[in-house]
Amino acid sequence: MARNTPSPGQKVTYFIFIALGISILYIDINSKIFSSVKNNFQSFKISSSFVVKNISVNPLKKFIELMSSKQKLLDENTMLREKLDESYLRNFLITKENTFYTNHTEVVKAIKDDLVIESFHFAKLKQIDPNIFNCCDRHRIYIEILDKKNEIFKEAMVFNRNGIIGQVVGDGSQNEVILLTDVKSSIPIKNSRGDFFCNAKGSGKANLISCSYSQLVWIDEHKIGDSFYSSGLGGIYPKDIKLGELTSIEIINSSVTKLEIELVSSPLDTNFFGVIKI
Amino acid sequence: MIPSFIKKTFLIILVSYLDYKISYGLSKIYVILPLTFLAYTFFLYKSDYSVGPLESFITGLFVDLITNSYFGHNAILFCFASYLINTYSNTFKLFSYFQICIFFGASATAYIGFSQIILNLYNFSYLTLFLSGIFNIIFCVLVAILSVYFPSISTRKI
Repeated sequence: MARNTPSPGQKVTYFIFIALGISILYIDINSKIFSSVKNNFQSFKISSSFVVKNISVNPLKKFIELMSSKQKLLDENTMLREKLDESYLRNFLITKENTFYTNHTEVVKAIKDDLVIESFHFAKLKQIDPNIFNCCDRHRIYIEILDKKNEIFKEAMVFNRNGIIGQVVGDGSQNEVILLTDVKSSIPIKNSRGDFFCNAKGSGKANLISCSYSQLVWIDEHKIGDSFYSSGLGGIYPKDIKLGELTSIEIINSSVTKLEIELVSSPLDTNFFGVIKI
Repeated sequence: MIPSFIKKTFLIILVSYLDYKISYGLSKIYVILPLTFLAYTFFLYKSDYSVGPLESFITGLFVDLITNSYFGHNAILFCFASYLINTYSNTFKLFSYFQICIFFGASATAYIGFSQIILNLYNFSYLTLFLSGIFNIIFCVLVAILSVYFPSISTRKI
């Protein structure tokens, strides 16, 4: 659609408005007549932006800050818990140093030089099915070993702050761990007096291992509540680590007796583990 | 009528805010891009009706107010741009897009020159004017190209 070009009358109007504009411009440059209008507008702009900011941006900002601080606290909490777990593992290791390390001179040197013992690896729990752990025969967990450098961890012992958990059976980005309670697991144990040795097998029940022996070979002097320790035979688990206490004695027949031992450590205690190769 | 007025006012505020935000960055390379003026001239060019001197004058005064410029500065230039575009509105149809881009770029450069004379005579710089002229023409060409690739934007009514 064609637009009408300005008629002579409209041109005059344009001229008038331009002349008016020039006059206003001249007045504004040479006097302060319009300064009050400008100042009022500026104050209105500032106050309205302040009000709008207070209504819209600030509550949102506060909300985001609140959320981020909450997340920060949660992260800090997780980090502190991990540090605490780390220190528990270190303490556990230090208290058992004589049994964990075959190379004692290295440990003595580390203690002497006030060095932190770093010959074990920290690991994070990646997967566990508590329902299977509480019901079934196959008791496995998956862990991620931190700071591993092309090392093979197969048959390495896994422990938490309370004691031995099991051993690594699979290598990969996540390591499969067979727990002591798995029916396929076996750990050589001994009693506190050191006059009874047995291979304890997983019972398939949570926190329970069992050991069957012949009364014809071993003397029968066990009491409920007796403590059992790892014997160190087999070369995977260190010796003299407390495993648990005797909870039941079952005489199967005239030659076989079965002991049931409740473990002191459970994989559900913590999400942080130590992995060590003896 | 009222929604259109509110829309225009809002667009003017938005464009002048953008103008204010980019001016500092561009001043480092001796370029001034009068985005508000270009947007208004574009509106005058695309408008189906002839925008009268009163509307241009009031819009210019409003821009002066929100940009804290001298009253009359944008009012005069908007009025003049309105007069020019209305006068040549039918002649523009004979021009190519590139020629129109040069016209708008040149008028933006004239706006810069006039503004510098009014507001900033002691710092008047031919270098800024020359670079701004080239930059404005390129900017107009880019906008024209953009409207070819995104016709929905250019055909949208304000």
